[in-house]
Amino acid sequence: MASLPKRIIKETERLASDPVPGISAEPHEDNLRYFAVTIEGPEESPYENGVFELELYLPDDYPMEAPKVRFLTRIYHPNIDRLGRICLDVLKNNWSPALQIRTVLLSIQALLASPNPNDPLANDVAEEWIKNEELAISKAKEWTKLYAGKR
Amino acid sequence: MADERERYFKDEFDSSQEKERHEFKLNGGSFLFGSNGQEPVEPAAPIVPSESGLHTSAGSDSQSQNDLQDETLQDESLQEEFEPASNELQSPDYISQIRQIIPGMNLDVARGLVEKYRGEGDVVSKAISEYFEEGLIVEHEKPRNSSSPTAGGNEGAESNSNGNSRNGSLVGQPLTREKRRKEVTPRPIKRLKSEIEWRKFIGSLQVNAMATRPTLRPLKYGTELEILKSSGGLPTSKLYNTNGRKKVSMASFVKIFDTQQNREIGRLPEDVAQIVYPLINTDDVVFEATMVFCENKRLSIGDSFVLQLDCFLTSSIFDEDQNKELTPSRSARWGSNSSMVETEEELQSRSKKVGLLSLFDRLRLRTVDDKADDASKSSANSEEDGVEVIDLDDDDNDGDEKLEDIVAREEDDARRFSSQEEGVMNLNQLKVFYKATQSSDSLKTLPETEPPSTTINLTLRKYQRQGLTWMLRREHEFEKAADSQGFQNVNGNMMNPLWKCFKWPKDMSWTAQRMEDHTEVDLGKFFYANLHTGEFCLEKPILKTMMKGGVLSDEMGLGKTISALSLIFTSPYDSSLVDKHLFMDGNEDENLSPPSSQSSKKPYAMKTTLVIVPTSLLSQWHSEFTKFNNSPDLYCEIYYGGNVSSLKTLLTKTKNPPTVVLTTYGIVQNEWTRILKMDRRDADMDSTTGLFSLKFYRVILDEGHVIRNRTTSTSKAVMEISSMCRWVLTGTPIINRLDDLYSIVKFLKLEPWAQISYWKMFVSDPFERKDYRQAFDVVNAILEPVFLRRTKQMQDADGRPLVELPPKEVVVEKLTFNEAQNTIYKHYLEEAETSVKKGLARGDLLKKYSTILVHILRLRQICCDPKLLGAQDENDEDLSKSNQLLKESVDVNKVYQKVGLNESSNRLDSGRLNTIKSRIQEKYPTADSLKTLECSICTADPIELHKVLFTECCHSFCEECLKEYLEFQKQKELELKCPNCREPVNKNYFFTLMLKDGESPQVVPLREVAKSAKIEALLKHCSILQETSPGEQIVVFSQFSSFLDILETELANTFLGNGVKVYKFDGRLNLKERAAVLENFSTKDFDNQKVLLMSLKTGGVGLNLTCASYAFMMDPWWSPSMEDQAIDRIHRIGQINQVKVTRFIVENSIEEKMLKIQERKRTIGEAMDADEDERRKRRIDEIQMLFE
Repeated sequence: MASLPKRIIKETERLASDPVPGISAEPHEDNLRYFAVTIEGPEESPYENGVFELELYLPDDYPMEAPKVRFLTRIYHPNIDRLGRICLDVLKNNWSPALQIRTVLLSIQALLASPNPNDPLANDVAEEWIKNEELAISKAKEWTKLYAGKR
Repeated sequence: MADERERYFKDEFDSSQEKERHEFKLNGGSFLFGSNGQEPVEPAAPIVPSESGLHTSAGSDSQSQNDLQDETLQDESLQEEFEPASNELQSPDYISQIRQIIPGMNLDVARGLVEKYRGEGDVVSKAISEYFEEGLIVEHEKPRNSSSPTAGGNEGAESNSNGNSRNGSLVGQPLTREKRRKEVTPRPIKRLKSEIEWRKFIGSLQVNAMATRPTLRPLKYGTELEILKSSGGLPTSKLYNTNGRKKVSMASFVKIFDTQQNREIGRLPEDVAQIVYPLINTDDVVFEATMVFCENKRLSIGDSFVLQLDCFLTSSIFDEDQNKELTPSRSARWGSNSSMVETEEELQSRSKKVGLLSLFDRLRLRTVDDKADDASKSSANSEEDGVEVIDLDDDDNDGDEKLEDIVAREEDDARRFSSQEEGVMNLNQLKVFYKATQSSDSLKTLPETEPPSTTINLTLRKYQRQGLTWMLRREHEFEKAADSQGFQNVNGNMMNPLWKCFKWPKDMSWTAQRMEDHTEVDLGKFFYANLHTGEFCLEKPILKTMMKGGVLSDEMGLGKTISALSLIFTSPYDSSLVDKHLFMDGNEDENLSPPSSQSSKKPYAMKTTLVIVPTSLLSQWHSEFTKFNNSPDLYCEIYYGGNVSSLKTLLTKTKNPPTVVLTTYGIVQNEWTRILKMDRRDADMDSTTGLFSLKFYRVILDEGHVIRNRTTSTSKAVMEISSMCRWVLTGTPIINRLDDLYSIVKFLKLEPWAQISYWKMFVSDPFERKDYRQAFDVVNAILEPVFLRRTKQMQDADGRPLVELPPKEVVVEKLTFNEAQNTIYKHYLEEAETSVKKGLARGDLLKKYSTILVHILRLRQICCDPKLLGAQDENDEDLSKSNQLLKESVDVNKVYQKVGLNESSNRLDSGRLNTIKSRIQEKYPTADSLKTLECSICTADPIELHKVLFTECCHSFCEECLKEYLEFQKQKELELKCPNCREPVNKNYFFTLMLKDGESPQVVPLREVAKSAKIEALLKHCSILQETSPGEQIVVFSQFSSFLDILETELANTFLGNGVKVYKFDGRLNLKERAAVLENFSTKDFDNQKVLLMSLKTGGVGLNLTCASYAFMMDPWWSPSMEDQAIDRIHRIGQINQVKVTRFIVENSIEEKMLKIQERKRTIGEAMDADEDERRKRRIDEIQMLFE
């Protein structure tokens, strides 16, 4: 594998030296393009107090191409499916090389704070969310406790 | 007499015009024939050259010097009689011709004049005019003593009353047998003076001749006739085409004379005349003709009669000096123009050889094969001692098939001369050749020699140690072998294979058969002849090559330099002599002259090796020598010509002369030219103190193929270096032609092959006949003992490849023109196409050749960068510098205007451009504010100013980053948007900064300062490598040195002060600078990316750049091997990394077509270029290919 572009090194350094509150991202020892990420559930969201593990991978074409991110911790969220895949525009068509790992993770955190059931990825969750938002939120809280409890 | 004279004139129908003119002048009395200066003092026997015998007065002191030109036309048959008795080594023809015109001219003066004009045409007349114009003071030699046995003098005085004797022999002799017999023996002595001691019969021909003059009476049976030549002094080159085929009918130049009447009576049939013509005046062969049959009636013109032609070889042909004189090597040096065209002398000597060959054939003189398995044959031969007179009309072939076989070979040889097909050498043949010459056995059988660690600080590889053994053997073993007499005559098998053994036939000549007391000269049973050089010998010629040295032709990258150095360090001086020197105990210098070999009047630099290298390698050699040198006593001196006041003194008079003197081909050539220009009289080597004043212990040519064209002055100069041992290092001994090898052979003085006639006969001619097998076989035979070639693929005794190099990856990267480039390219392409089409239509494409080459050059330049247009790059040797089109300077801006580039940009909304521009300026009003720009893509902070690119929305990026992104988006067919604000972007409204020294940056539209596609690509690669492989050196090759300049600026603007160091290596650097560049470049520096910009021509060969593992070829060259050579600078021994080569090719441009041509060359072999014409035609094909 070709060695790491400067930008990735720079980003990694900055993530370590100037971390975003509630978010951590550490590159894997063997592969500096693979990051172990944790995101704390935003306050006043159903995911409050949860710590969600994600994996983030920077493809060879990064930053021309968006990083690939996936939840490893189970989460009840209309835009995140059973497999942890995330429906977020900046990870898809709205990616811009001006964005960074940090901004992507912030976007994900923001997504937790404001689920968007109208643009769902997990259809069943989105349906429930629309049908009965309260129930859905409580279920989300339950899942957070169940799966994303602080250790 | 008068009657006869009249008739003579009437009958003079086949006399050449010159002769007639000549005679009329003579008649007019305006001119006294001066050529026979020796004779006229003998009033009784005024010898005049014309048959008419009109001249009655002659005197050496009243010679008119008018019309000297005509003199040169005079009958050559006279010359031999006036040849100086001493055996002139230097072109006897010219000297004697001159001395014929100016009788009694001092021999030395004549020689000097000939020397001076040799190599130019018309030597004689030039020499003569100089003689007169310069008023050279000449001591006229005393007229030859009349008692000297010159031709005709005695005889004529005795008995020739009418003075008509043309050649003075036997005139007016009574026809009695007794008298004749007496005549027969003295004849050669008389004709040929002291040179000829004897002659010996080799056979008779019965010839049907045709009468050209009527006779009054029938010619009697047994009338003695004479065969004479009357070409009127035409140079041989007029008689033969360059391919050896004769141009004119020889029969008109070979006359039969009635010696009694002293008049022409007829001529030989063409086939015999052809054979006889070149031999007539050569001393080597004597013909005696006797009338045998003329139907006993008087002859009328056209009648045929039969004569017997007895042929004798004379002692002179066996004379070694004579043989040497025949060797053309001396004159070849002066040969002019194209490589294998023979000089006049070469041609003469060759035509003579052909004559001999055919004569032998005609006489059925057979070779005696002395190989054991042919014993029967030789016994068969010995049975027919009595060679019968051969009747040429008898087509019956004796039914002796064996003999036919032998003869067939000779015929074959003769046929070569009619072959007009040009041979070519293609790549496959080259492969065959190389394969055959590979010395794979050497790897198994050669022992290894470890160079002494006291002198050399280097561990050799196994094959290099073997090579060292071989080289040492080549230098030393011959001495031993010679001492032990190992060469002497072990048995018959040692005979030089080029020589043939002949048995003397029984003397069946007319005279011998009719003379009672005829005694044959006893010369043993056999004689030996080399029919290819025309050399003859009575003793068995033993094959010996005592030449010391050879060709080390290991493939590129196997360390030829190292091998040569190890040889030098192992054997730094001529040990035999230096040891003696020690015995002599300090008895200095003077007595130390080496055993006198033929050329060793020069002092012997026995402790010094001269190494001649291309200029670019000078410093490399020097540093490698220093690196490996382990002995304080050995050192290396670079010789520039001027830096050593007297090389002679330095090398022979000092206690510790340099072990190695390094110099370049250029210096050798310069010095040689200077010597040539010096006044002849001062030109003896004693007065010079440079390279040519010495005999070196050893001379080594690095990249020895430099001398492949033996007619270049460099070649000639190098050949003249004298040395005990001679070495050639070259990975590519053949560049284009098989004949390239000849120069090497000649340099090595590898006798007998160094004689052009040998080479031509055995190599060039068979090759041209497409008899490749023979040509290669011979070349192999020639080179086998002196040639060592190993390839990278060869395996050593253990089955391992000699060299395991890391893999090499060559990638062609296709680029697209930027818009400006594209527009300009199209414009020029159109121009070029029109020109080619016109040329094709009118059929004068060849005439327009150089114009078209300029067109092509332009297109290639645009592919690199339109800024190259009009730049003076002298790389394309095919372009004459005088070419108007090339001189015409090209103003790029005007071109832009012409092709409407500016207009099209005007079509852009200039208002919008201005708005954007002012918006950007507003946003970043000061130069300082521009220094805070960030690129959100690569997170560069700040963006270097030269990289800055602004979008319409005033966002800044690195130009590269944004373009990469847009390219990415394009591929995905996504809308092009600004990464920062997602506003749509338009390339036409990109802005950048224009930087000028001392001014604040200007915001300008990007397209006006766009970089060419190749520069972009290179910059991109550099910055990628900077990140991915920091500290890796990069070599960038281009054939355009002006492109290197542009790249230098671009790289500097882009990276300078930011981890990149740029070096440039091209022909403009002097030696010191070159060395410095290479040294600085090669030291590793992990903080800096070192980029070496290398001119393909200057740095393509020899250099060692293994410190780098990345190379970029900016532009394709016509011949792929040139690029391969360049790549091998990096991919060679010492390289430890995988080598990555990127070749930039612009898509849909002339470069892609050049790639195709390269492909073609690779497959059909570029070595095919037979000659200049052929090459041109091929180029035309290529041009058409380019514009298809």
